[in-house]
Amino acid sequence: MQAWKDIYTSYMHKQQQASPPEPDKSPLTGNLQADLQALQARLGDNGDLVVRDFQLFGAHQAAMLFFSSLVNMEQVREHVLKPLMAGPSGHQDIPDSIAGMIHYIWSTAVQVTQGTTTTDISVLPDAAVKGELILLIEGVPEALVLDMRQIDMRGVEQPQTEQVIRGPREGYVEKLENNLSLLRYRLQSTDFRIEISPIGTRTQSRVALCYIESIADSGLVAEAMRRISMIDTDGILDAGYIEQFIEDQPLSPFPQVQCTERPDKTVAALLEGRVAMLVDGSPFAVIVPALFNQFFQTVDDYTERFIMGSLIRMIRLIALACSLFFPAFYVSVISFNPELMPTEFAVAISGGRAGVPFPAVLEVLIMEVSMEVLREATIRLPQMIGGALSIVGVLVIGQAAVGAGLASPITVVIVALTTIGSFATPAYNAAIALRMLRFPLIILAGMFGLYGVMIGTILIVNHLLFLESFGVPYMSPYVPGKWRDLKDTLVRVPLWWMRRRPSFLHAKDNTRIAGSVSSAYVDQILSQEGETDE
Amino acid sequence: MSNFRQITTARAAAVICSTIIGVGIQSFPRFMIAAGDNSGPFIALTGVIISFLIYYVLTSLCQLYPKETLFVFSRRLIGRPFAVLFTAVIMLVFVIQTGLTARQFGDIATTVLYRKTPIEATIFLLLFVCLLSSRRNIVKFSYIHAFYLPLIVGSIVIMILISMDNITLLNLQPILMPLNHKFWKGAQIASYLFQSSFVITLLIPFMVKPKQAVRAGALAIFTSGAIYLLIVITSLGIFGAEESKLLIYPTLEMARNAAFEQGVFERLDAIFIVLWVISVYTTVYTTYYVSAYLIQNLFALRDQRMASSVLLPVVFAISMFPTNVFDTYYWSLQLGNAVMVLLIGYPLLLWLAHLIRLPRKKVPA
Repeated sequence: MQAWKDIYTSYMHKQQQASPPEPDKSPLTGNLQADLQALQARLGDNGDLVVRDFQLFGAHQAAMLFFSSLVNMEQVREHVLKPLMAGPSGHQDIPDSIAGMIHYIWSTAVQVTQGTTTTDISVLPDAAVKGELILLIEGVPEALVLDMRQIDMRGVEQPQTEQVIRGPREGYVEKLENNLSLLRYRLQSTDFRIEISPIGTRTQSRVALCYIESIADSGLVAEAMRRISMIDTDGILDAGYIEQFIEDQPLSPFPQVQCTERPDKTVAALLEGRVAMLVDGSPFAVIVPALFNQFFQTVDDYTERFIMGSLIRMIRLIALACSLFFPAFYVSVISFNPELMPTEFAVAISGGRAGVPFPAVLEVLIMEVSMEVLREATIRLPQMIGGALSIVGVLVIGQAAVGAGLASPITVVIVALTTIGSFATPAYNAAIALRMLRFPLIILAGMFGLYGVMIGTILIVNHLLFLESFGVPYMSPYVPGKWRDLKDTLVRVPLWWMRRRPSFLHAKDNTRIAGSVSSAYVDQILSQEGETDE
Repeated sequence: MSNFRQITTARAAAVICSTIIGVGIQSFPRFMIAAGDNSGPFIALTGVIISFLIYYVLTSLCQLYPKETLFVFSRRLIGRPFAVLFTAVIMLVFVIQTGLTARQFGDIATTVLYRKTPIEATIFLLLFVCLLSSRRNIVKFSYIHAFYLPLIVGSIVIMILISMDNITLLNLQPILMPLNHKFWKGAQIASYLFQSSFVITLLIPFMVKPKQAVRAGALAIFTSGAIYLLIVITSLGIFGAEESKLLIYPTLEMARNAAFEQGVFERLDAIFIVLWVISVYTTVYTTYYVSAYLIQNLFALRDQRMASSVLLPVVFAISMFPTNVFDTYYWSLQLGNAVMVLLIGYPLLLWLAHLIRLPRKKVPA
């Protein structure tokens, strides 16, 4: 798409001649164009930044600047723009000198509850990203800052696919502006950049690419822009379309971009130095780069205290291993290496299997396939019937299958454990990958026993090691190993230990916790001890 | 993104270490104890030191040309025809070694654990996995080794620790023997295990700090050496010298002994074998990769992908060549001798060429 190509070229251009703009300390000049330019330079090129020029009372040049995703446009039109654009006849006592104009507007013209005036240009960008409207008048070295913020939260509900025990209950909705406002509301920083442009020759869906200028690696941002600009299709209906066009290895079963319904998760990713993409009409954000590690992390891990977070994460990893290996392991032990089991258990199993005419591998495959069918049916059906179906399917058919000699009770247990394990993987697409790979593993186990399972595992692990997502090895930070990054993998160490952003993202600003938070913690403990001593 | 100079010293060490620990751990104690009864551990230690010396000579030579592999700079040193000839011989050696290692693995796997699986299928599957993973570049090659190394070392160390309970200290005495012909022969056999540390010649041009190649090798050879040493000591301590000589795979017997009466699993040896599959895989993978790389180098192919595919039937045929276990070990030892001569002789020849050419280079400067 040409528009994205332009954004990409201009970004690369900017990066090449980049010296970071100095923070502006100067007061407002009173020259409207110069002040606007200074403000825009500070705010960067954003798709949702609106600069509106107009004639104040039909006589003076003026302009207002605000983010369309944060303010209520209707109120701006009704209570600010309309009175200010009315001719002089609509007002009495308009001051003759331009100097008193700001005071006059504030006290007489605009109908806004909160507002301030300022002569310092450096506070204006921060005001703008907080959802305030900035009014500048030609010849006046003072700006009127009006609070017009309205975050449109209608329809924002608990995300369906990523529920949490503790944490925000907001999920994206379909409208892009709303989603961006959810992001800006959490990330009130002038460094937050949103590039919006249409993709799709026929749908012209607006695609927003979000990143934090001072954190995200410019190479990564450029690469994301380049890949988006290469998309040439007639329609983008969901963020999932973007995902398929930009991922590194479309043939791999494993997802290489992360999609999420949660704004808080997106902001966390942005703060780590990742890049997020949103599509108008899709309640999902796509985050790159995505690594294997991310697919068994949830928001709960971070909102809960670190011991619980680590424990739950390990349980999830066990569930993941169960969903992948359990049936294959079972088949190979039953058919090839029964000596692995304690004798009594082996006797119990063979007793249960006595009436089953199939070999173990066939039995497990039958049960696994029917379980997959059942699950798919439950998802497609309306919720009310789905519940009934799953009870009928699992309990009645499961019991009847055992009674009819189609499967042994232990197989039913194994298949149930496997299925539950696959539900415990938080990312749906990663869970599907493991579900898919379970079947080749079962077949290998049926053919070669534990050796087959091992070979299958080596193949899967090697595939994971070969994968990359936007140039970052998929198994980072395990391989290539970085001790520092291992703090947030199997275990989640306390937040104050994670002082740096993940190094594999090559963030421009690597420091997450500046100063000495841990020592503050220690100080606190010491002071408490001191109190008890007294 | 170029993959130039991305392999850290630690990862290079991991490659060498996981390569060295492989199929040999099953029969290594028998060879050592057969060579010197109770002095088996000393023989093993001597073998480790010998192999480190060989490694040191080779690596110091390669470090003189840190931007190229051995096979590229050897052409400048001794002329193209000679270099190509030697490269071809090394290639052949590695192809045969790959085949024989796979065969050793197949023998153990089918006779001990997977009796229902035909040996052809076992070997073919292993080689097929090697083929698939050899199609990637050398950085990914190092990733694989780095990822599996903790699993390999961890499982063996745990196995040894569990077995330690069964050691009878009396079995370990006396501990010294005269340094006779038999001793040196045993040390030589021990050093065969470490021959695949030759892979460093491939890694040096991609290392972040080529100067640390010796350090990486030292770390790897002495770590894996320590593990081998522990295995010999444990085996000797558990079974005693005379019984160890009778066991074809003392390490496996050790795992069986260790795991008996351990609770949930009746026997842990199957689990140990499963993890041992990984260590064999990393070993065969290295020799397979080196072979494919050498073919690519000989025929000036763009990358080693096609070479690795062509290699599979050849290696498979070689692995089918020995008629039984004893045949396999006979040929493995013969090959070990040949590689030994090659690995000492070739680097010395190149050193000589380097020294002769050195003054000429300095004159124009």
